[in-house]
Amino acid sequence: MGFMMTLSTILATLASPIAALAQSEPVHAAQQEAGHAAAKMEAIAAPGVGPLWLLLIPVLPLVGFVLSALCAAFKVKSKLPAWLTVLCLGASFAVTLAMYLQISSGQIANPSVATGFEWIRVSWGLGDAHSIVANFGLYIDSLTCLWMLFVTGLATLIGLYASEYMAGDVGAGYCRFFAAFNLFVFSMSCLVMGDNLLLLYLGWEGVGLCSYLLIGYFYKKPSAVEAGKKAFIVNRIGDLGLALGLMLTAVHFGSIEYSVIFAKAQPYLTALSEGRLGDIPAVVQLIPVLLMIGAFGKSAQLPLYVWLPDAMEGPTPVSALIHAATMVTAGVYLIARTYPLFLLSETALPIVAWTGALTALLAATIGMAQFDIKRIMAYSTVSQLGYMFAGLGVLTSGGAAFHVFTHAFFKAMLFLSCGAVMHGFAGQLDLRKLSGVGSMPGWRVVGIAMLVGCLNLAGFPVITSGYWSKDMILGEAFANPHMVAIGWILLLTAGLTAYYTFRVYFRVFVGPKYFEPGDEVHGHGGGDHGSHGADAHGADAHGHKAHDEHGHEGHGHDAHAHFHPHAPGWAINTVLAILAIAAFAVIGLRFVGGHEGWVSGLIEHSSANYAGHAMYAAAASHAGAGGDEHAHATFFGYDAHTAMMYVSGVVGFIGIAVAFVLHFVGRTTAAKSRADALLPLVGPLAKWAQGKWYVDELYNAIIRVPLLVLAHLFHLIDKAIVDGIVDLFGWVPKFTGSSLRPSQSGVLHGYALSMAGGLAVLVLIVVMVMK
Amino acid sequence: MMLAVLILIPLAAAVMVAVAPASRARSIAMVGMLGVAVMAGYLLFSFDWEHTAAQQFALDEESSRLVPSLGVSLSMSVDSISMMLVALTALLGPICVAASKTAITERLKTYYAWMLVLQSAMLGVFCARDMIFFYTCFEFTLIPMYIMISLWGSTNRKKAAAKFFLYTFTGSVIALAGIVYVAWSYADRHGMWTFDADTLMRWSRSLPAATQGWVLGALLLGFAVKVPLFPFHTWLPLAHTEAPTAGSVILAGVLLKLGTYGLVRFAMPFAPAAFVGHAPFIAAVCVVGILYGGLICWVQTDVKKLVAYSSVAHLGFCVLGLASCNVMGVTGSILYMINHGLSTGALFLLIGMVYERYHTRSMKELGGLAAKMPVWSTFMVFFAMASVGLPGLNGFVSEFMCLFGAFQASDQWGAGMWGTAAGQTPGATPGHLGAWVAAIAGTGMVVAAMYLLYMVGKVVWGPLVEPAGHSSHGADAHGHGSHEHGGLPRDLTGREIGVLVPLAALCIVLGVYPSPVIKALKDPVALTTDEVVNFGKARMAMPLVPPANVVPAGHQEGDPHGAGEPAPAHAVESKETAR
Repeated sequence: MGFMMTLSTILATLASPIAALAQSEPVHAAQQEAGHAAAKMEAIAAPGVGPLWLLLIPVLPLVGFVLSALCAAFKVKSKLPAWLTVLCLGASFAVTLAMYLQISSGQIANPSVATGFEWIRVSWGLGDAHSIVANFGLYIDSLTCLWMLFVTGLATLIGLYASEYMAGDVGAGYCRFFAAFNLFVFSMSCLVMGDNLLLLYLGWEGVGLCSYLLIGYFYKKPSAVEAGKKAFIVNRIGDLGLALGLMLTAVHFGSIEYSVIFAKAQPYLTALSEGRLGDIPAVVQLIPVLLMIGAFGKSAQLPLYVWLPDAMEGPTPVSALIHAATMVTAGVYLIARTYPLFLLSETALPIVAWTGALTALLAATIGMAQFDIKRIMAYSTVSQLGYMFAGLGVLTSGGAAFHVFTHAFFKAMLFLSCGAVMHGFAGQLDLRKLSGVGSMPGWRVVGIAMLVGCLNLAGFPVITSGYWSKDMILGEAFANPHMVAIGWILLLTAGLTAYYTFRVYFRVFVGPKYFEPGDEVHGHGGGDHGSHGADAHGADAHGHKAHDEHGHEGHGHDAHAHFHPHAPGWAINTVLAILAIAAFAVIGLRFVGGHEGWVSGLIEHSSANYAGHAMYAAAASHAGAGGDEHAHATFFGYDAHTAMMYVSGVVGFIGIAVAFVLHFVGRTTAAKSRADALLPLVGPLAKWAQGKWYVDELYNAIIRVPLLVLAHLFHLIDKAIVDGIVDLFGWVPKFTGSSLRPSQSGVLHGYALSMAGGLAVLVLIVVMVMK
Repeated sequence: MMLAVLILIPLAAAVMVAVAPASRARSIAMVGMLGVAVMAGYLLFSFDWEHTAAQQFALDEESSRLVPSLGVSLSMSVDSISMMLVALTALLGPICVAASKTAITERLKTYYAWMLVLQSAMLGVFCARDMIFFYTCFEFTLIPMYIMISLWGSTNRKKAAAKFFLYTFTGSVIALAGIVYVAWSYADRHGMWTFDADTLMRWSRSLPAATQGWVLGALLLGFAVKVPLFPFHTWLPLAHTEAPTAGSVILAGVLLKLGTYGLVRFAMPFAPAAFVGHAPFIAAVCVVGILYGGLICWVQTDVKKLVAYSSVAHLGFCVLGLASCNVMGVTGSILYMINHGLSTGALFLLIGMVYERYHTRSMKELGGLAAKMPVWSTFMVFFAMASVGLPGLNGFVSEFMCLFGAFQASDQWGAGMWGTAAGQTPGATPGHLGAWVAAIAGTGMVVAAMYLLYMVGKVVWGPLVEPAGHSSHGADAHGHGSHEHGGLPRDLTGREIGVLVPLAALCIVLGVYPSPVIKALKDPVALTTDEVVNFGKARMAMPLVPPANVVPAGHQEGDPHGAGEPAPAHAVESKETAR
């Protein structure tokens, strides 16, 4: 620790001018938050009536879906579905932008509800008091705007990218891809914009379906099918928690519409802020615990994270949009949206924080040991989502949302860069078989985009948005006296993240030029995509194995002797360039619009802003008497927020430096680096981490196999006992029948016998009863 | 009169099929079924949707009298619950005829004639307001189905048909015993027989709780076999697997609903006290069925058997909704009857289409059909998702409502750990189920995803697998791609798509805009649940074993509504046959 402190001091002196730039806000944030808390005591405003054109945001992607489906029906063999998709999604983005502008200028009330039509209404009493209503209605506030801006914006960009990426599949597969892509954006809009929990649930399962369909896009490949199935089922476990939380909300509050829930939760929030925790019933405290199960499933947190790495079987644009930028942040959205409910439980947010921190660390350790670059990115997504959950848990919903926002851009870019490599090198993703890609002709944009993405993910100090957003979470964790342990876990993870991120960069994008192409040959049409993989790995249940073993299958170099990597075209390069600029541009958002940046400013005017309020309450309840002062922990005597600016920067730096030394300095081949020499030092740890700590195997052994055994057992019981008893009854008349008239067979016999038997039973009963 | 016409149309068509040449059988059957559909459409149109609980289109009393000395009549009428199921039956009729075109090539006259008779009997069940008429139709459905399975089924058809017949027949006889007992006790007290449903219902409700328990036991047993509820389900997988496609569709689509319809229409109102009292037991049976049936699905290799077992799990949800005895659960349950008919019916159709092409249902011999049959695969994924309960499609609405009905039906809400500061839980209803029942049943949602995606993953996705004798490279290698399989091309024909599209469209409509249907069901459902809960409470408070044959005060002859009981709204419309 002393070492760390020294470094921190050194960096502090070096970077003090830069730090001064941002210093003013966090120091006084505490007081300001306390002020906000006091100001926020009153209820979340009752929603105004939103204009109906807002419905265009979900409807336009639905139109895109229908058009793409029609393209499939009419067997369109061009890029038409892609252009229709980009058009519809772009229009949806434009409407979203208009929505944001009108909300921020006050032309649309914040929040507002725009009701389309009545979806489900069940009433069992006389009035509305005993009814459950779920309209197809939209709840618009600044949180909605934030999410929809990056969902529709990124979807448009990635749709453009996919128009080129999926070009090899033009035809039925292309239409299928874009249909599911549009359906995803529609579902995601329902999830984010729905004005009630049931519509959120519709979107929730809808994005799950699209995820299933797109992960399994290369459906001839068993590993892809298996991965899609796994994603759907694991998510369903989470969905069950969400559904039960929804039902509990409905029973307790008598409604599932946000506006009603928030209004009815207000007395509890008041009780909380006055320290009367006993007034909050246990049943209310249970609601967030159930809801978070859903969030853990969709956002790939412990213990339900296992589906996300396998989801990389899907085409890369899907990984970028669904499994990195948007869908997986749905859990963060759910918690942010229902933040007032989470605050009502003493345990809910600490559970969220710990789950997030532990997931972040676990995923980072696995990511360090993988060789498949796309899978490393997948684990980094799990890990970064852990940061967001930890952010929510340590009460900085603004920091969590900002990290969601910055992460959406740089992670999408990282995936798209990896995708470009995969696309260009025939599916090659093994970092031991690629080197110096960034300096190959035509790969410059990809190289730069990758560098920008890696810097952001690693949290390179000051110049990257990832640094600023991660810093908000770290600072808040250390500032909260109950969450310091979480702060340390996240800090350690930050170092690991920087290491594994730059391990990829230094291995694949710089250094000596070398490549071995993968085993997918692009450019041939139709649905044959991936069939090659299917043949090679027919028996493989898990895709990650398939990928790791690509190199050992003895595809001789002869087979690819004339292979030329094809560098990305204009669509891919444009999208990467836009994203790279955007990743930097969002840094600016940290310094405009509110004392903690634009995103926090947005969050402040939404249901997610009860952070200040809660801190106030937490202080009141935990810090004992006189606790209405915001208890601010320090980091070795320094203000936690300020100290983190330096410390996290240094940690990120160290991670990058280690990767530089181990994977760049003196590396002459693609396959070997100096890190290999260090492997014996950590013993079996590296192997275990590479084996993903065998969590999949564990789940298989303790859940899947017992269930399978039980299922077979039930099947046996069903045949032998449940049906056996029936047959036994059946035998009696059959036996008597056959002994009386042995050769008679056929229909009438059976009738007569059963009629007679039935009548006998009937008569018997009637006689008994009449007696 | 219109209901009588509705029921007579298929009968008349059956007669015409019998006399006309075999080559015309299918066309006549189609016309008959379409006639029913048009008639049902007309009924839907002229139904008074403002008074959905009222019994409408009643046959006038004079012409319906059948055996006056026993009080047996042909009384028929429908409220919105019956109307929905009539509509479902009428919809599936033409679909089944259309689906049989290439599958059934022998003994056409017998086949279509019996199918029309079956249609008549099923419609009769949903329209009947006389217990003997109801029972006759209920039982008469067995014979056509028995014949369909045993003549056009697959290899093990004789055994399947016999088991189907004997098992469900035995069950219904027990149900009849319950009905007859109630009628007998009425006759014993009033000195005259009647089988009018409303009269008997009111009488039965006034019986002591213990007696009601026996009545419920008899009815429940009979209907549970038909539903089928665990552990009376073993006839179902066998019958489904062996039945021809149209038989499976009717079986899953309508015949199973006779059981659940019987429960909601007769078991609940006949023995409300017992039903409320035994609701936890019924719910437990349902939950076991959901998980047990679901897990068994997961290890099937015969795709048709898998879908058959899934009915056991699905109808567990359906009856769970009934057991919750509240508007949410019972409405959900009735929606479930319709939705299950649509989505599972469609799944059987799809499996039938593959069977016609490959002559196998084994998932070991079939796989990756998406490559060969993209249109079929699209429908398969769609209906699997409807069946799995994906929101936006029909299955979700009803499944959610059944689960939520069970969830809210607990007297525990607002007390103890479930309590609130104000002591109020606006979303709760009285009952004995509650959160735990719903949570355990809810795991059935996960299991449903497991087995349906297992099926889809095997049959639709993955590397192409075709039975031996079918080239694995199909069209490219041999340049035929079709023509060996009864003249069917590789992917679906226009006729087959036409059969599936109405079902798919309804799945979407009922998933996106179920609101009008829920509204239409509200009044009759509220009537049923109010009766169940109120009468249940009143009766449960009574001593368990009252003196025999004591008629509760106020239930005298000539006072049909009973002074002490609230008059049900539909009593105004109902017919007193035995006056």
